[in-house]
Amino acid sequence: MPGRIPRVIHTTAIVLRYRRLGEADRIVTLLTPGRGKIDVVAKGVLRSRSRMGGHLEPLTLVEVVLAHGRSMDVVTQAQTIDAFPAAHADLDRLSAAMYLLELADRITVEHADAEGLHDLLHTALVRLARGDGQQVVQRTFELALLEATGFRPELTDCIVCSSAVPTESAWWAPVEGGVMCASCARTHPDAQPIDATALRVLRAFQSQPYEDAGRIRLSDELAARMEQAMHALMRSVVERDLKSAQFVSAARRARVAGETLDDAETAKDE
Amino acid sequence: MNDGRDPFLPGASSPIARLVEAFHRLPGIGPKSAQRLAYHILRTQEAEAQELADALIEVKRSIVFCAQCQNLTSRTPCDICTDGSRDRHSICVLEEPLDVLAIERTGGFHGLYHVLHGVISPSDGIGPEDLKIGELLTRLRDLETEVTEIIVATNPNLEGEATAMYLARLLRPLGIRVTRLARGLPAGADLEYADDVTLGRALEFRQEVQ
Repeated sequence: MPGRIPRVIHTTAIVLRYRRLGEADRIVTLLTPGRGKIDVVAKGVLRSRSRMGGHLEPLTLVEVVLAHGRSMDVVTQAQTIDAFPAAHADLDRLSAAMYLLELADRITVEHADAEGLHDLLHTALVRLARGDGQQVVQRTFELALLEATGFRPELTDCIVCSSAVPTESAWWAPVEGGVMCASCARTHPDAQPIDATALRVLRAFQSQPYEDAGRIRLSDELAARMEQAMHALMRSVVERDLKSAQFVSAARRARVAGETLDDAETAKDE
Repeated sequence: MNDGRDPFLPGASSPIARLVEAFHRLPGIGPKSAQRLAYHILRTQEAEAQELADALIEVKRSIVFCAQCQNLTSRTPCDICTDGSRDRHSICVLEEPLDVLAIERTGGFHGLYHVLHGVISPSDGIGPEDLKIGELLTRLRDLETEVTEIIVATNPNLEGEATAMYLARLLRPLGIRVTRLARGLPAGADLEYADDVTLGRALEFRQEVQ
């Protein structure tokens, strides 16, 4: 006999996104430890006097009380546990956080068990907010997420012939899910050469504990190459363009352009 | 109506079904509301229905984007952009045309506007290239009067903040002061129910009691 569905549920959750529903309501997508990704209705949150609106913003860890509804549960109470304020203070961190949220959203299906994913996302957001390197946080999150969902990329051996691939002659094949040797890459037109240092660092991120990976120093150029490779991989896994990934890159390009201009003006003044 | 179907019965090709479907496509209109609206139209005088149809067609044909502020207008440049009494040193950047009306209602801003027509929202598939940001940068380069302040008045949510910070990053190298609308407690709010971010900002930007 199926168990009775509880009328009220208390749970923690990370708010992934929302969309408007009618005049003042929203459908909020939550990632919960026990029930996976769920859509819930938050009534009246668009009104300025709403008591819940501010607590149900994306990029917030909340404690919610949900009343069982016919098609969707309804939020009756919401209280912020952590709003990750430091992640809101800087565009690079904010865009990275938006990327983590979109990845978690796109890779999960509703109501599927996601306890591990909730913890992974929470840990990554905490690391981002406390000031850890954004590249390390994003790349280690991507690799852990792929591992947890059964898409672990092959970074050492050729994905086609299983031979060991030296970093200096490796090719990157996002659709196939990892590296290829030069010989197999000839028959796969989508494979692209990958920078040897970028691959070495990705291997380190995949195999070493987070604390060790965090000690690796990355130049802007190397970070951009790793980002390009991993964004291509994530795009092929979720089978769609990730707008947040493009925004992460756009924000970084705008920063670099601003810094270059500042440097040029400083040099002119001197 | 000559296809043998009763126009009053639901069916993909009946005129009523087409009208219900057309209303259902509008934001915030569910199937029941769409049916109510369609049957309301059916009960009104033909002249009233014609007036509605004319208004719909006219708005689509005559409303364009203002070449300067990108607001919706019947002539370009719009009345606000051509108003010589407005302060041309400051531009308020907004998400949507309706936000212009909201700021105008306050009577506290006398500068110009720029409407982005959205915010950066990756979950909805909207990136910076989908907004009128390029038009703002072109406008700042082309304007005869030097703009000294850009007030970013996007909504105080994740997407609004990301858009504001991205704009600030683009505009800072141009030497323009970029400001953001203050964020704090709304009138009539309850401290007990305020979220941490709002309460934190309200404390950070507190003001001396006059």
